[in-house]
Amino acid sequence: MPVELVDPVEWSKIRETIDDEFGPGTTQGLRGNLAPVVIRSEQSNSYYLIPMVWMKQLEIQLQDFEVRSIGIWLGDRVKEQFRVGLPVIEKLGRLTRNRIIVSRRGAESFTYGRSILKESLVKIPNGLRRGQKVVVYNEEGDCLGLASLTVDYDRVDRLQPDRLVAKNLTDIGLYIRYY
Amino acid sequence: MREKAKAIAKKHGYLPYMIERYLSLWGEEETLQFIDACERPIRTAIRVNTLRTSIDETIARLDKKGVNLERVPWLEEGFYAEFANVSSGALFEHLLGFYYVQGIPSMSVVRTLDPKPGEIVFDLAAAPGGKTTHIAQLMNNEGMLIAIEQDKKRVSTLVGNIHRCGVTNTLVLRGDAKKISTLEIVPDRILLDAPCSGEGLIPIDPTRKTSKTMADIRYCATKQDELLEAAISSLRPGGTIVYSTCSIAPEENEIVIDDLLSKHPEVKIVPIGLEFGVPAYTKPYGLMLDESIALARRFLPHIHGLEGFFICKMVKEE
Ligand SMILES: C[S@@+](CC[C@H](N)C(=O)[O-])C[C@H]1O[C@@H](n2cnc3c(N)ncnc32)[C@H](O)[C@@H]1O
Repeated sequence: MPVELVDPVEWSKIRETIDDEFGPGTTQGLRGNLAPVVIRSEQSNSYYLIPMVWMKQLEIQLQDFEVRSIGIWLGDRVKEQFRVGLPVIEKLGRLTRNRIIVSRRGAESFTYGRSILKESLVKIPNGLRRGQKVVVYNEEGDCLGLASLTVDYDRVDRLQPDRLVAKNLTDIGLYIRYY
Repeated sequence: MREKAKAIAKKHGYLPYMIERYLSLWGEEETLQFIDACERPIRTAIRVNTLRTSIDETIARLDKKGVNLERVPWLEEGFYAEFANVSSGALFEHLLGFYYVQGIPSMSVVRTLDPKPGEIVFDLAAAPGGKTTHIAQLMNNEGMLIAIEQDKKRVSTLVGNIHRCGVTNTLVLRGDAKKISTLEIVPDRILLDAPCSGEGLIPIDPTRKTSKTMADIRYCATKQDELLEAAISSLRPGGTIVYSTCSIAPEENEIVIDDLLSKHPEVKIVPIGLEFGVPAYTKPYGLMLDESIALARRFLPHIHGLEGFFICKMVKEE
């Protein structure tokens, strides 16, 4: 399974997706001076960022080995949907204003894979819309994962404490739940 | 001796061939000390992952959560840890990759390898990744670390740990490390933390007292020979290799190394460079092995209160 450089057309699609969700320039911020590469399989395309100098090393003969990860995992595209990978979410959080903070109890339950209720929401920036992806933090400033808002910012105040505000997309609890 | 071994084995629930070997290696008194030490729990230890945060911050955060830490003299990043009422894997700090729960001998292996930022390093039997993530930490995520693992399930765990710990300089390959020469990459350092019979892990896994036969040990030794052979042939002349196992069996350690030295005069054992363990054996079971094997180190439950381990550092001369 070869590792290929991502061609410019494919890359611009990924950039559009990430920048649409998290703000212009986010993708470039994530990429820095790394090279985007892709490993294709039947089920998905996995994208990674690697130092340019590795490209030469990657001319290696891989017939006896399967590449399972390389450099920084940027995300996967399954069918037509691109999803950012867990390892880049922390950096993503530093590049976007789409960030919410949850209470201690909210953080615990979020890292068990659960979604976020109004009562655990501590802070949300104004103007965010339903469906928008947000990076989730606890009150200590630790990055916990990614969620998608289920209500517009304007409506949050009116919600009952037990109502859903954001759906869990991925969280660091996966490191013990999944792997 | 056979009868004595049988009696001790029966009394303590071991297979007789194991006790026979211990009696030959250590004599009766030390064998009984070993058996006794294997009944005592090994203290939990953690390695602070400086790829995520500083040692001081992790200490402060764990302290707040009631985790008691005690430094390990030869390991800046290693601590004995008492997680009073919580599981060591469940804390946020663990999910955030601030630390890795890992045995002291395992951390000592990577410190012995002493990888440097910018180098090309192979980790030939990598999952679940305790040592891979430690190597990346000492390389400060610079250079290229190639982690190889054959087992499909275990390779997933390896990838998970790499991501959790913020490792970014690693290429993870699934496959048979015996085939590394086909990669045509020439590494500066190699870690071969070889698959083994686990005879050093009796304090952690009491079923090991009866689960493996002498044939299993021989099977492991053959595999270790083959992996070492592949490792040495791909290593850069002048490069360093560390061979380790979590076995106390000379058959999987000193004897494997002695065999390697006799086939490869260009390979020399060098001092570990750290103060730990006891010298490896040069005359196990009355055999006369290469004297330089005494430079390798062993951790033993009855001497160090840790799981049994073997660590040997070698260079391939130019
Ligand atoms: C002792 S464990 C490694 C532990 C690991 N170094 C760590 O610190 O987390 C040995 C590993 O070697 C793998 N293995 C066995 N034979 C192999 C081979 N021929 N090539 C690659 N990996 C192999 C096993 O599946 C096992 O995961």
